[in-house]
Amino acid sequence: MPAVLTVDSRSGVPIYLQIIEQVKRSVALGVLAPGEQLPTVKQLAVDLTVNPNTVARAYRELERDEVIETSPGRGSFVRGNGVAQSSANAAANDIAAEALMRAVREAKSVGLSRSNVNALFEAAISRWFPEEA
Amino acid sequence: MSISIEHLTKNYGTFRAVDDVSIDIPSGSVFGLLGPNGAGKTTTFKCMLGLALPTSGNVTFDGKQLTPQTFQRLAYVPERSVLYEWMTGADHLEMQKQAFPRYNAARANDLMHLFSLDGRKRVRAMSKGMRTALAVVMAFAIDPDIMVLDEPTSGLDPVNQRSVLKLIIDASAQGKCIILSSHQIGQVERAADHIAVLERGKVVLSGAVDDLKAGSKIVEGIFPSDAVALNGMSSDQRITRVEKTGRIVRLTVNSGGDAFAAQLSAMGAQSVRIVDLNLEDIFLNAVDSSQTADIVESA
Repeated sequence: MPAVLTVDSRSGVPIYLQIIEQVKRSVALGVLAPGEQLPTVKQLAVDLTVNPNTVARAYRELERDEVIETSPGRGSFVRGNGVAQSSANAAANDIAAEALMRAVREAKSVGLSRSNVNALFEAAISRWFPEEA
Repeated sequence: MSISIEHLTKNYGTFRAVDDVSIDIPSGSVFGLLGPNGAGKTTTFKCMLGLALPTSGNVTFDGKQLTPQTFQRLAYVPERSVLYEWMTGADHLEMQKQAFPRYNAARANDLMHLFSLDGRKRVRAMSKGMRTALAVVMAFAIDPDIMVLDEPTSGLDPVNQRSVLKLIIDASAQGKCIILSSHQIGQVERAADHIAVLERGKVVLSGAVDDLKAGSKIVEGIFPSDAVALNGMSSDQRITRVEKTGRIVRLTVNSGGDAFAAQLSAMGAQSVRIVDLNLEDIFLNAVDSSQTADIVESA
């Protein structure tokens, strides 16, 4: 698991958000399988060399978002069985939504109109989903 | 174990080295104290440890004054090494063993290996980095509950710097209470959960690292002409700096980035963008804006 996570302390993005984003991505892509155990807070903190409270905060939010579950004494796990697929979907959704938000904000900031942005969006859809045109 | 610094002030003659500093460090927390040289970090540490007498204010450990018993559970890595030149590393560890009941010889041995230190070597033959490493080994070998670390990575190579950070993180996960200063802001950003920036003895910025990073943004608007009225903006507490260069207005804010972006749009900006800041940017802004006027205008 630590192999799939890296943090960039020079980035302006808070480290706990970087951890959340990467765990969600790993779950969405199946790199982290349903039921798979995550490292303890202490282990991940030492592995990534980040503050344990920062890791604990990321885990708490991942629990709240129903990506992982923690059982006292056993540890934290990627949600399994029935919820696995929906949490993977939700994680994929979160990642895509954030990227789209950024792109639209950027488009607006350089002065494009709503219809301009729509046209760009349509072009992007056609390019990446050609079979469904 | 927790530390509470309340309204600490320290004068040296007419010079005020520390000016009304208040900091709380709960158990299991790493507090990063940042500031330019001479900002008062080391004086704050000395007042905490009874090595300097505060002019006013109070430092308590679990709500109590410092006692000899507190010292047995406290490790201090001073900014300037206090090692004895004619003694070996092993001699220094022997001193720790005599002075601290919770000294752990096996742990000390592991740490000496971690930093590739030879216990038979005398301090006078050690490099700056080896001296720092020995001071770090001495601190972590006594199993302290409180750690006061003044520049604990100075002179160390990147591998050993990382080892010190991991030791700090491991200690914090065990519930130790740690205060740390470093000029390596990236290290503080990783190890600390809360920080304060000192500038000329005063706390000019403090908070949780994640919250500071989440809130601190530069909001930049480009306007059709350079006639932009910024009335009242500099009085908003959330804006730490307003810069105007021709048609470009740049706000440095500690929260409310989206709202200010909307406000610049409403004021007629053609283009607005929000830039994330890392801790180093936030630190430099805090130190900078405590020295300069609110609105900086240049042609």
